[in-house]
Amino acid sequence: MHMTESAPVRIASVNPQTLFETRQGDRPTGETLFSVSDLKVSYTGVPALEGVSLDIYRNNVTAFIGPSGCGKSTFIRCFNRMNDLIPTAQVEGHISYHGVDLYGPEVDPVEVRKRIGMVFQKPNPFPKSIYDNIAFGPRILRMQGSLDERVEQGLRRAALWDEVKDRLKESALSLSGGQQQRLCIARCLAVEPDVILMDEPASALDPISTTAIEDLMHELKRNYTIVIVTHNMQQAARVADMTAFFSVKVSDDGKRRTGILVEYDETPTIFTKPADKRTEDYVTGRFG
Amino acid sequence: MSVPSISLRRQSSGAAFRGGAFYALLVFSVTIGFVLLVTLLVDVFIKGVPYLDGVLFFDPPSAIPERAGARPAILGTIFLMGLLLVMAVPIGVGTALYLEEYASRDAWYNRLLDLNIQNLAAVPSIVYGILGLAFLVRGLGLGRVTLAGAMILTLLVLPIVIVASREAIRAVPDSIRQGAYALGATQWQVIRRQVLPAAIPGIATGSILALARAIGETAPLILVGALTYVAFNPTLTGPFTALPIQIYQWIARPQEEFRLLAAAAIIVLLAILLTMNAFAIWLRNRYQRRW
Amino acid sequence: MRLTLQEDLDQLEASLQEEGELVLRSLRGSLNALVDADTELADEVIAFDDEVDARYYAIEEGIQSLLARQTPVAADLRLVLAMLHDNLHLERMADYCVTIAKLTKLVEGIAQDATLLEGFEEMGRRLEEMIHVALDSFAARNLEQAESLVHLDDLVDRANRRVVGHVLALGGDPERREWGLRMIIVSRCLERIGDHAVDIGEQTAYLVTGEFREFTDASHPGGPPGTAPREL
Repeated sequence: MHMTESAPVRIASVNPQTLFETRQGDRPTGETLFSVSDLKVSYTGVPALEGVSLDIYRNNVTAFIGPSGCGKSTFIRCFNRMNDLIPTAQVEGHISYHGVDLYGPEVDPVEVRKRIGMVFQKPNPFPKSIYDNIAFGPRILRMQGSLDERVEQGLRRAALWDEVKDRLKESALSLSGGQQQRLCIARCLAVEPDVILMDEPASALDPISTTAIEDLMHELKRNYTIVIVTHNMQQAARVADMTAFFSVKVSDDGKRRTGILVEYDETPTIFTKPADKRTEDYVTGRFG
Repeated sequence: MSVPSISLRRQSSGAAFRGGAFYALLVFSVTIGFVLLVTLLVDVFIKGVPYLDGVLFFDPPSAIPERAGARPAILGTIFLMGLLLVMAVPIGVGTALYLEEYASRDAWYNRLLDLNIQNLAAVPSIVYGILGLAFLVRGLGLGRVTLAGAMILTLLVLPIVIVASREAIRAVPDSIRQGAYALGATQWQVIRRQVLPAAIPGIATGSILALARAIGETAPLILVGALTYVAFNPTLTGPFTALPIQIYQWIARPQEEFRLLAAAAIIVLLAILLTMNAFAIWLRNRYQRRW
Repeated sequence: MRLTLQEDLDQLEASLQEEGELVLRSLRGSLNALVDADTELADEVIAFDDEVDARYYAIEEGIQSLLARQTPVAADLRLVLAMLHDNLHLERMADYCVTIAKLTKLVEGIAQDATLLEGFEEMGRRLEEMIHVALDSFAARNLEQAESLVHLDDLVDRANRRVVGHVLALGGDPERREWGLRMIIVSRCLERIGDHAVDIGEQTAYLVTGEFREFTDASHPGGPPGTAPREL
């Protein structure tokens, strides 16, 4: 007998190397969706975040983790120009989306937000019916096609349709916290974005709702690119393909605290053998 | 082993007494106010109800008590309140929207505006009357007409509408705006579809307050030229009168019957006010139900 | 719920079963090489061990990543720890096959004793059966089936003990003696493969019951399953 003859094989043989790779999505050989270069955000002249450079890849979940005050929420809000709404905020540096500079002179923030949606920390359903909440986006953007279908599709994609299909006309505020957050996700999906930004999407929710949202992210990333901010690093470990760790740099006189990017890598690496000691200290919980 | 004894009984009777005395004081204040109000109302009703008849509503005033009515005054008041609503609410809500949604807080002219609105609410109404006389009646050449009266009342109640509307707009959680912006809404869409509908209850309340203030104003109307004796129905650009003025005029007469007629007119005035209130409350409830 | 965790666990388990298949092929190859004195086949077996090692490292890394990312608890944690140990047992079994192949090459050209080789073939078949049982009982989480491995191993152990006597009986020239000594090592390798298969069964028992327990312990004989378990 030669080794080329095989004994009866019970399972379809798949090389485990490949098994582990394909699970991670299409990075780092995947397409780059956002390219951030030397980004700096200041509030009335005081820098809150500086020197940030990284790439976000398509169909990945990318997580930003770090202690409070490290500027991760400020950073994520740069991707959909939400910082424009804060008069004292000033963004310098470069973010490109599909190769186009997001802060270029001809770029309309409203157009940006149609393609890059956002879900917030505390669920914020509008004080309207469930139907009107989901329909709001398509209505104001004058999207063609059946509104009923768009509402149903949005709710299905957010795994909420079965729970609310019989009470679409009821107030959105009558839903539980976890359902309200999925409603906000459905609302975001109804305008058919490219990217979904989530700023601590589960921090106000109970553990079961949190797991439901995490499973939803796992499903959604097949069709969307997701970026999340989370202060719960275990959540980042569970859901993210790429993780960026931010920290706070204190000035010499101890007065100024500025956020910086410390390390950005594949999630397994960040949580098994991080390159930077600061990352290691943070993920192992040795903060002091 | 013995358990140390602890006393859970009240330690001092002083605190209890002060609590009770305070409560009694509160009840007393409420009672006084209530009793006074009820006394006034009952007095007016007893005097005025017998005179609530067709003559009051449909006949013009007359020197003869039996034939004296308040039709021009009633129509005048209703007309003025209508004009007031149409002018004060849009201007007031518009100003509130500008200050809350568009204006930058730090600009000096906005802070000046802010300060002045508060001040305007404290100006005595007769000053508005003089203002109206000088600028509207004489300056703009409008003459002593209903429009001038409505305009001056508008100025009078504008601060109330603005302040109430600002509070209502401010009460809309910022998270709602953020959510709408994040979906790709323009600023106007956010205001028109989220902020305003949510602020309607507060704006409606502000309008009620404004109308209630204006309905009883006499001094500015007199200065702007409300006549005390008007026999015909008021028009927009014609002479006019209003219920408070009619009431005042009747009370000034020597005959006792005119005083009773005045009581009847007061009841009508209160009825108009309550009707407007009811409408505004209905409007507020209709929008509040959605929350 | 916890789709990612479930997917990861399923993938790891599939990879482990696949590694088991490779071990079986390695064992069959090394036995055939030994019995047929086929040094070419022996070389192939030695080279084939790289495949097993590649799987071993991939699974190690996969378990490390899963522990870091998913923080499994309860049955999930026991499953991951069981797979961690099983991975090592399988890799050791493959290494013993390589040792047998190397020994086959060393005794090239020396005349062999047919009876002893038949005995090894018999042991080999028993071992193949044990590996199948170990992998199947793990996949099915079948406690009884896992515990049956002890009895199967008894036969292998007894066969191993007889080999020494047989080699002494061969006597004779230095070549024969050298061959005999090397065959004792081969026997020992086969016996150790059997032990590792039993260890896999113990991991299955741990996974199912949550208790750390050895089926038998050389220093505490009389331990069929049912002996009081040690709880850590």
